[in-house]
Amino acid sequence: MILGCLKLVNRITLLDYKSSYSSFMKRLVLLFALTSPLIVFADEHNWLERIQVHGFASQGLIFTTDNNFYGDSEHGSAAMTELGLNASIQLSPKIRLAGQVISRNAGEMDNGSPHLDYALLDINLITSTKGRLGAYLGRIKNPLGLYNDTRDVAHTRQGIFTAQTIYFDKVRDLTISADGAQLYGEYFLPNGTLLVQGGVGYPIPDDNVEQVYLGQDHQGKLDGNELAIVGRIMYEHDGGRWILAASGATLDIDFEGTAADALGPFIPGIGYIPQLLGINSGTIGIDYTIFSAQYNSEKWQLTGELAYEDINFIDIGGLFSDADVKSYGYSLEANYKFTSKWETFIRREAFYLDKEDKYGKNFEAASKQLNNTYPFIPATPGHVRYSENWIMGMRWLISPNWMARAEYQVNKGATILSQAENDIANTTKDWDLFAISLSYRF
Amino acid sequence: MKKLLRHSLIIGCLILAPNIYAQVLIVHPQNTFSQLTRNNLRAIFAMRTPQWPNGEPIHVFVLEDNDPIHISFCKHLLEMLPYQLRRVWDRQVFSGTGIAPIAVKTEKEMLERIASTEGSIGYLLPENVDKSVKIIEEIL
Repeated sequence: MILGCLKLVNRITLLDYKSSYSSFMKRLVLLFALTSPLIVFADEHNWLERIQVHGFASQGLIFTTDNNFYGDSEHGSAAMTELGLNASIQLSPKIRLAGQVISRNAGEMDNGSPHLDYALLDINLITSTKGRLGAYLGRIKNPLGLYNDTRDVAHTRQGIFTAQTIYFDKVRDLTISADGAQLYGEYFLPNGTLLVQGGVGYPIPDDNVEQVYLGQDHQGKLDGNELAIVGRIMYEHDGGRWILAASGATLDIDFEGTAADALGPFIPGIGYIPQLLGINSGTIGIDYTIFSAQYNSEKWQLTGELAYEDINFIDIGGLFSDADVKSYGYSLEANYKFTSKWETFIRREAFYLDKEDKYGKNFEAASKQLNNTYPFIPATPGHVRYSENWIMGMRWLISPNWMARAEYQVNKGATILSQAENDIANTTKDWDLFAISLSYRF
Repeated sequence: MKKLLRHSLIIGCLILAPNIYAQVLIVHPQNTFSQLTRNNLRAIFAMRTPQWPNGEPIHVFVLEDNDPIHISFCKHLLEMLPYQLRRVWDRQVFSGTGIAPIAVKTEKEMLERIASTEGSIGYLLPENVDKSVKIIEEIL
């Protein structure tokens, strides 16, 4: 019964994932309506103890010397607003319902319209003093790395932004959650805990994803019709003094192009060049793997994450004919807590889109050659193929609920920038960023 | 001389057993458990053990993050860093995979809530504990 309902909800959720607020509300009401019969079986007292409501709000202010990140940051951008509200209801000792709505204004990457971040049933199958086993059904956050699950919540991030070389904000929706089912297990060892979470789900691609992987927003659409697999295994030693994790996702996104997409754009004086600029229906296969390690002590926190991405373009043709791109990125951070209220960090991040051509030299040469033959295709510099950054920041925990941050980034390369916000061929290679933020959570 | 001896004895005890003035673990008076392992305790306060072994739901109560009693409880009884516990709760709450404990503002409220909630667990300074709750003496 529950499974049936969830399938239905999933199908509905999937059909209109880019829905407006009203259809989202309908979905939420439906989810509650479908699960409400379960409430009848629950105890009638202690209701307040069964319901939890939490939320967060954060506002950032971003300045860059060149290029745009979260809005028109060259002139100072306040287009970084994050709002979220969630509720968790224990329907019975074994079944819990939880959901979260998020609104993000992220410059041209997200316009702030509210969307369903997660909505799931948490079914506890086994609980003992040795551990527990359970399942999540519905829209579930993808357990990737140490931070993907809560990347939109300022308080849980390491800085004002998550490490962009591991958790790209420009393709956030593809990796953030999926509609499906996951199993979770926690096993309590003598001095540590082993946590495993993973399952299958339909990914949720959006226009940002299309722009990143296919260069622009085409007439056709990317579909999350094929089940993706996601999972994480994590070990927390001695109450979290050491944390080690390996996580990954493998997904295929289908592109259903139109006849116009196959023809490509019309070039004045030349006509159509479908073999070069056309895009056919096909599949983008993405494999993503992250290794994470963290050491926590009273004063120091050291974090390292390493990510590999393998992208395969199948049957899409045009500039993407049979491309197989292997990328990797890393993030290394040292965080020092002066007091429980004040802390500072320094982070080194890097990402290389093509590990065979780290600094995009071959890419730049090929792009120049293409530009010589077809002057209407802009020559793109090699620095769009990598990013290397140093980031320094401060955090002030004003109260358990309020937090203020400031950070300075020295960036080389432009691969973390979004096509939606920048004319990528005309980006500046060396650029600095300064940002401040004020965040609240309860 | 006798007084001096007694004083040095008390001071000696304080130095040798700094936990003597630390928090005690308290549960609902009808709770039948008298001992817990450190790892069980960590799992309970990390909100990873939803039920007592007899199937009764566990209700975890804590003081606020910046309360010195909470900080001392984390360090001495759980042997965990307070910010690590907060990380675990935040990840669960904001990813939907779990919940956070119920935060109370004062020790008085802690005592009242533990005494009145079946399946409850929390902590207090020993001098603020009365007979309305049960103390878990042994942490293995």
